[in-house]
Amino acid sequence: MATYNRITPEIAAQLRAVVGNRFYEQGGVDPNYSHDEMPIYGKYMPEAAADVETTEEVSAIMKICSKNKIPVTCRGAGTGLVGGCVPLAGGLVLCTKRMNKILAYDMDNLVVRIQPGVLLKDLAADAQKRGLMYPPDPGEKTATVGGNISTNAGGMRAVKYGVTRDYVLAMTVVLADGRIIELGKSVSKTSSGYSLLHLMIGSEGTLGIITEMTMKLIPSPVCDVSCLVPFRTVEDCIHFVPKVKLANLDPQSIEFMDADIVASSAAFTGNPIFPERVRSEDVGASLLVTFTGYDEDELDQKMIKLGQIAKESEALDVLVVATSANKKSAWAARSSFLTVIEAETRLVDEMDVVVPVDKIPAFLIYIRGLGEKVGIRLRNFGHAGDGNLHIYCCSNDLEEEEFKRRVKIIMDAAYTKCAELEGQVSGEHSIGHAKMSYLRESVGEDVFELMRQIKAVFDPDMILNPGKVCDSGLAER
Amino acid sequence: MLNILVCVKQIPDIDLVKMDPETGNLVRTGVPTLTNPLDLNALEAAVQIKERFGGRITLITMGPPMAESTLRECLAVGGDEAVLVSGRGFGGADTLSTSYAIVKAADMKGRFDLIFCGKESLDGATGQMASQLAERFDAAQISCCLSIEDIKDGRIRATRALENGRELVEATLPCLLTVEKDNFYGRLPSLDAYLASKSAPITVYAETDIDGLDPQKIGVPGSGTIVPKIYPPELPEPGQIIRTGSPRTDVGRLLELLTEKGSL
Amino acid sequence: MKKSDYQNMWVYIEHDGRTAAPVGLELCCELRKLCDQTGDRLFAVVLGELPESELDKVKDCGIDGIIRVSGTGYEYFNTDAWAKAFTVLSRKYNPSAIFVGGTIDGRDFAPRFAVQLETGCTSDAMELGWDAETGDIQFIEPAVGGKIMAVITVPALRPQVGTIRPGTFPCAPVGAKQEIERIEERIDFDPEKIRCRHLGFIPDESDPELDIANADCIVCVGNGLKDSEHLERYRTLAKLLGGKLGCTRPLYDRGILPYKLQIGQSGVMVKPKLYISFGVSGAVNHTAGVDADVFVAVGKNPEAQIFNYCDYGIVGDMDEVCDEMIAQIKALRQ
Repeated sequence: MATYNRITPEIAAQLRAVVGNRFYEQGGVDPNYSHDEMPIYGKYMPEAAADVETTEEVSAIMKICSKNKIPVTCRGAGTGLVGGCVPLAGGLVLCTKRMNKILAYDMDNLVVRIQPGVLLKDLAADAQKRGLMYPPDPGEKTATVGGNISTNAGGMRAVKYGVTRDYVLAMTVVLADGRIIELGKSVSKTSSGYSLLHLMIGSEGTLGIITEMTMKLIPSPVCDVSCLVPFRTVEDCIHFVPKVKLANLDPQSIEFMDADIVASSAAFTGNPIFPERVRSEDVGASLLVTFTGYDEDELDQKMIKLGQIAKESEALDVLVVATSANKKSAWAARSSFLTVIEAETRLVDEMDVVVPVDKIPAFLIYIRGLGEKVGIRLRNFGHAGDGNLHIYCCSNDLEEEEFKRRVKIIMDAAYTKCAELEGQVSGEHSIGHAKMSYLRESVGEDVFELMRQIKAVFDPDMILNPGKVCDSGLAER
Repeated sequence: MLNILVCVKQIPDIDLVKMDPETGNLVRTGVPTLTNPLDLNALEAAVQIKERFGGRITLITMGPPMAESTLRECLAVGGDEAVLVSGRGFGGADTLSTSYAIVKAADMKGRFDLIFCGKESLDGATGQMASQLAERFDAAQISCCLSIEDIKDGRIRATRALENGRELVEATLPCLLTVEKDNFYGRLPSLDAYLASKSAPITVYAETDIDGLDPQKIGVPGSGTIVPKIYPPELPEPGQIIRTGSPRTDVGRLLELLTEKGSL
Repeated sequence: MKKSDYQNMWVYIEHDGRTAAPVGLELCCELRKLCDQTGDRLFAVVLGELPESELDKVKDCGIDGIIRVSGTGYEYFNTDAWAKAFTVLSRKYNPSAIFVGGTIDGRDFAPRFAVQLETGCTSDAMELGWDAETGDIQFIEPAVGGKIMAVITVPALRPQVGTIRPGTFPCAPVGAKQEIERIEERIDFDPEKIRCRHLGFIPDESDPELDIANADCIVCVGNGLKDSEHLERYRTLAKLLGGKLGCTRPLYDRGILPYKLQIGQSGVMVKPKLYISFGVSGAVNHTAGVDADVFVAVGKNPEAQIFNYCDYGIVGDMDEVCDEMIAQIKALRQ
């Protein structure tokens, strides 16, 4: 069984020799490196941290750390929600936020080579300047693209364009022992052996450190428009989703939001763009459907069709988000949801389950009942178009221990229900250490053991991001 | 039924307007336009009144032909009719002559009980139009309106924001109002109205279409003010920029400096 | 119209029956300087009752005369009586210019009487100049969100009307003149004809967080702020420094912070000991409202004008720098 060593002054000196004054120890380590955006899962300070800038630095560091059995936890912007980048075993935090260069565009093949610390919003904006779009659109725009790849982040546009995985063509990876390998090629097809590239995607820094990647881009759609479709009830709202999908309207996103989150967001941002009452009726839940296209007529036709479906269903109305000012407001409101929850709540925990789209109402009704029974306030919103729901357990008055106890009851029951509905533990936030036991239950022992064996092949000393995904043996070490 | 007029303006996105360093002129070409946000709050107030008390909303703007898109945007959220005052003769107008042209054009559509306009436009930002329109309409005026309590017997009762509190007032109709945005956030248009607005007829008035319009009182000749000169703001010499290599050390240095100055 | 027929400049003295609002005094002080250039005489115009002791303060600002208007209709501010009074007075005395404080009331009635007189009106000038050749006042003000300064004149009409925001000019009285002309006018406005009547007033509850005018330390957040979600850290920093949070106009427009926290010419004028801006571009409209002992600017764009106004600047990600400040200040205090 692997054991870890501490970072001695000698090892520290070697690490400092690699990155110079970008190496920090003890009090010099940024306290934020002890947590991500879900502090309920605990804070763990590393012994030291290094802000790396090049593949070679990462390689040199991994050589030192593997030789000395120092745990290494890779971190981007720290915007994760499952404790994925938290250094459970102490050791070294390797932060890629300074590897934030967009290296080169290949305009003939519509690909871009970037470093892992490039922020999602910066890549999106930079591509936009060239008339290109980076389709994955996770809600957290200040996440790094490296982090997005490590968690296979999804986001709102997944309905039309797919998830991060679909846009990674190649990458440079530093292995646990410091070797540098290249995975994938800038081609659109491959049938060449096991895809280690795709194994790396979503591996949360447990198999290697990604230091450079080649991403696929598409020509930017010329115009877009969103429709807000309000309903009396959550059920009416969710039942509308398959109708939209069947109508061949090819929406870019179909977002679900219930009345509670809309009200909280309006109070928080001071911007009530999503109405709480429509035609003198209270809105229970709304869908935000976004279309993209190459001219306004095309979008109008899609909206007309959507309007027809809405008339035949329980929709209260169809509202149009067409002006740039309204788009800005709608976007700001939608992207404030998580923050609103964090701001108005002292204790938060979350689930990021994904179920087949037609099972959403069943799951939501179940979970609401559960919340009431157990005495936990629930907030939910999500990507209705792909069945991915973000469910937040919130409390302002419970003691932390009691909150955790109640949340565990909800989570246990919810993930069981999720499995029963043929769903998955995580749609896009991944496993980290917070959801490991649920992953294990969900996939079963055979699959879980295979994952552990794969991990051992890449990282025999278990120094890469200990205690995450399938590494259930940390406590023994 | 209340006859309501809402005055709106299309403005360039001022965040994107640049000054040509060579000529000192403002570069507006290619800059996207938008409807002055405060006008949309005014429109929302009018739509709420229409819903509560019944009414008909006429929109009016003055500007180049492209200002039509602003009128369509407003038609989609509750306007019933739209008037575009457009012609070369109206160009270069200040508030004195713009208010004259708007009121003369509005007169073509009858008498209005209520007139709404934004507190100011983000581009011109004089904040004078409301008062000057009120004067020319010979109307009472409630500026910075927070809420509309009631309208009956030819009177409107409303609250308005002052520097240190809120005032309850009652005014006779016709009355012109500007509104605070807090209770009058613009709404999203309904799909049917949005689609209908795309092909809705818009009345366009050129100089010669407006009865009794005095050409000496519109455009540049009718303006009281001119702008003989614009120039970039004179900037003081830059301060000391701390560049030590990393945010952490930058902040460290800053705090040292502030401590020396006794500012902390 | 012959411009030379119009002489002397007027300042409207806004008051509540007990005290004169500072803006009237500020304008008198500033216009004293202008009148010394132009040769005009400076008159203060007072509508309704105001105690002599307050009038003495006005006199201290170097005026040449006072026009006192009495009559019906002036018990409580109303735009009808006020606009009418100025129209009547102006027609009688033909002043060259009339200045009115850019308060809510001032901005209501000044543009109205300008229309009654069919003359040019400007608002929010930050500087006043004078073109000796044309005899026109130059109203100099930021335009297009502060990107440019515009010189505005009223070239052919008189009087030249301007509203000026409170706090634009300092109140620096030069002392009372020996002889001050006093003109008494009675202008009755039939109270029945006041079209907008005052029915009641509810003062705002005072929220200390919203009272930033006298704060010693201000952390000001500008349009660089990505979203309301990123705001909390700035509040934390302000609290840590014993100061208050403020913002620039775009944040108010974006609905992120209330109007009372908006710093600048069209918001609150502040004079803190320490002022730290984050993500503020430095438009003149904003910086005109800041009179700080020590001015710190943090922002991503090294070209931003704000760095011309600061004593110390840091170019970088505003959130990151703020977090760093919080951490290091906490460490310093431990």
